Amino acid sequence: MYKKLNNLGFVIGTFFIIISLILLIGGLLSDALDNTLDYYTGFSFLIFGFLMAFFNRKNDTPLRD
Amino acid sequence: MRPFQTFSYSIDMRLHIADYLIIVVYFLFVIGVGFIIKKKIKTSNDFLTSGRNIPLWITSLAFISANLGAQEVLGMVASGAKYGIMTVHFYWVGAIFAMVFLGVFMMPFYYGSRARSVPEFLKLRFDEKTRGLNAISFAVMTVFSSGISLYALAKLLEVILHWDFDVSIWMAAGIVMIYTFLGGLTSAVYNEVLQFFLIVLGLSPLVVVALHDAGGWANIKEVLQPELTHAWKYMGSADTNPMGINFMSLIFGLGFVMSFGYWCTDFLVVQRAMMAKNMNAAQRTPIIAAIPKMFMPLIVVLPGVIAIALLQPALASKGFTMPSDGKGGIDYTMALPSLISHYYPTGVLGVGITALIASFMSGMAGNVTAFNSVFTFDIYQSYFVKHKSDRHYLIVGKVVTVAGILLSIVTAYIAKSFNNINDFLQLVFSFVNGPLFATFLLGMFWKRTTSNGAFFGLLAGTIAAAVTHGLTLAEAKGGWIYPLYEIQSGMGQAFIVASFSWIVNFVTTIVVSLFTKPKPDSELVGLVYSLTEKPSYHQDKWYLRVVPLGLILLAVTIILNIIFF
Repeated sequence: MYKKLNNLGFVIGTFFIIISLILLIGGLLSDALDNTLDYYTGFSFLIFGFLMAFFNRKNDTPLRD
Repeated sequence: MRPFQTFSYSIDMRLHIADYLIIVVYFLFVIGVGFIIKKKIKTSNDFLTSGRNIPLWITSLAFISANLGAQEVLGMVASGAKYGIMTVHFYWVGAIFAMVFLGVFMMPFYYGSRARSVPEFLKLRFDEKTRGLNAISFAVMTVFSSGISLYALAKLLEVILHWDFDVSIWMAAGIVMIYTFLGGLTSAVYNEVLQFFLIVLGLSPLVVVALHDAGGWANIKEVLQPELTHAWKYMGSADTNPMGINFMSLIFGLGFVMSFGYWCTDFLVVQRAMMAKNMNAAQRTPIIAAIPKMFMPLIVVLPGVIAIALLQPALASKGFTMPSDGKGGIDYTMALPSLISHYYPTGVLGVGITALIASFMSGMAGNVTAFNSVFTFDIYQSYFVKHKSDRHYLIVGKVVTVAGILLSIVTAYIAKSFNNINDFLQLVFSFVNGPLFATFLLGMFWKRTTSNGAFFGLLAGTIAAAVTHGLTLAEAKGGWIYPLYEIQSGMGQAFIVASFSWIVNFVTTIVVSLFTKPKPDSELVGLVYSLTEKPSYHQDKWYLRVVPLGLILLAVTIILNIIFF
C-alpha cells in the first residue's frame, strides 16, 4: 500500500474516487445532494479515478526514484 | 497575468457539509503529497530543481498548470465575457506557437547548458550583471504575484462565501507552505498535476450544463453580437471589435512579443520543462503541454461567452445574473463565480469552489518555488555566500520558501490596503517581461550579441515600456506623461506597450552589440544556435520527435482558427 502511495497516478485516482463517493453516497443519504448533476459528476469522477489509479500503467510512476 | 478588479458586492453561495468535506479532502491530499515526497529530498537540487528526474507526462501537465493560476482562470473567463471568442487568441495565436517554438528551438539551450534557472542561462550566455538584473526583477515579480494571488483568493472567498479574510489568507498560505517546505519543487509540481485535473474536471460540468441551458453554441451565436462570436472576422480595424485592436497589433503584440516573452523566457513555466529526465523529454514537455492547452478555451473562455449570452434579453428567462462593477457596468471578473453559484448544486458546488482554491494555490506554489530557486542559486549563492556545502543551500532553500510565503502574505495585506497596487504591479511586470524575449532571441540566434548589448537593451526596453504607457490612454489608465494616443481597451494598450518595448530592446541590443566586443565562439558552444550541435531524433518514431509533433499542433491550431474565424 505504501508503494502505491508513492505513485502519483494512484494518488490522483484515489482523490477522485473519494470525491465521487462523497457525491454519490451523499446523494443517497441527503436530499441536499440528491441532484442529477451530482450523480453524473460523481460517476464521471469514479470512472476517471479508477482508470487513473488502477488501469493506466504508464502513469505508474514513483513520486521519486 | 490578468489584473483583478475590486470586489464590492456579493454573490451568496451557501456551502453544506458535503462541500466542506470535499475542500478538506483536497487539503489533506495536497499536504499528504508533501509528506510523501519529503523522504526523497536529500540535496538542494532535489529541493529546488527536482534533480531533473520527473516523467514527461508530469512535466507537461505541470507546465500548463503553472499558468493555470486563478488570475488566469478567472481572468480568461472574464475576458471571454468582455471580449467574446476573441479571447481564444491568447491560446491559438499566442500560447501554442510560443510553446512549439520553445520546445523545438529554445529548450536545447536551456536544458543543454545545464543551467539551473533562466537567470543562470543569461549568466552563461552574457554576464553576471544581466543575470543579476533578471534574477532580482524575477524574484520581486514572483513574490508579488504570489501575494496578489493570495489576496485575490481571500477576497473572493470573503465575497462569495463570507469567509473571514484573515483566516483565508493564513489557511491558504499555510497549506502551500507545508507542502512546498516539505517537498520543494517536486511537491509543488505533483500537486500542480492534481490541481490541473481538479480544475479541468471540476469546471467541465459547468460548461456542459451552462452551454445546454443557453441552447447550445448555435443559439449563443444567435443572441450575441457577431463580433463576440468570431475570432478574426472583425479584426480588420480596431474600431470594429471589442478588444479595440487590429489583427496586425494582435499578431505582433500578443502572438509574438507577449506570448513568446512569457512562454519562452518566464522561469516559472520554463522550470517545469527543465525538470525533465532528458533532452528529448525537455523538448517535448511544452509540445505535449500544448495539446491540452489548445482545448483549454473550452474550460476558461467558453464559460465567459456563455455568461454574457445568458444576460441577453432572449435568454432572460434563465434567471442568470451577474453583479455590477459599481459604475453601472457588469463586473466581468465575477463571471465564473456567478456561473458556479447559478448552476452548481451542493456537492458539485464544493468541487467548483475547490477547483477555484486549487487554481489559486497552484499559482502561488508555482511562484514560490520559482522564487526560491532563483533567490537561492542566482542571488544568495552568486552574490552573498559562495562555496558552501550542499546541505547549507538546502537549508537556505527551505528558509527562502518560508520567507517567500511570509512576503506573499505581507504583499496580500498591502494589496488589501491599496487596491490600486494590483494594477500598478501588473503594469510593472509587463514593463519587465515585455522586452525580455528580444534579449533571448538575439542571444540564442545571433552570436555577435554582446553582454553589454543585452544589458542595455533590456534597460532601454523596460524604459520604453514605461514611456509608451505614459503616452497612451486606455480605460482611464496610462497617459501619465501626456495622453498622446487613446486606445479602446486596456488589453490593446498592453499589446502596444509590449510591442514598443520589444522593438526598442531589439534595436538597442543590436546597436550596442555592434560597438562592443562579443564573447569568443569557444565560450558560446551550447548557448548559440549556430555553434551548437542539434539533437537528432531521426531514429525515433514520429511521435517521439519534436518537429513532427510541433507541425501537427500548428496545423490543428490553424484549423481551429479557421473554424472560429
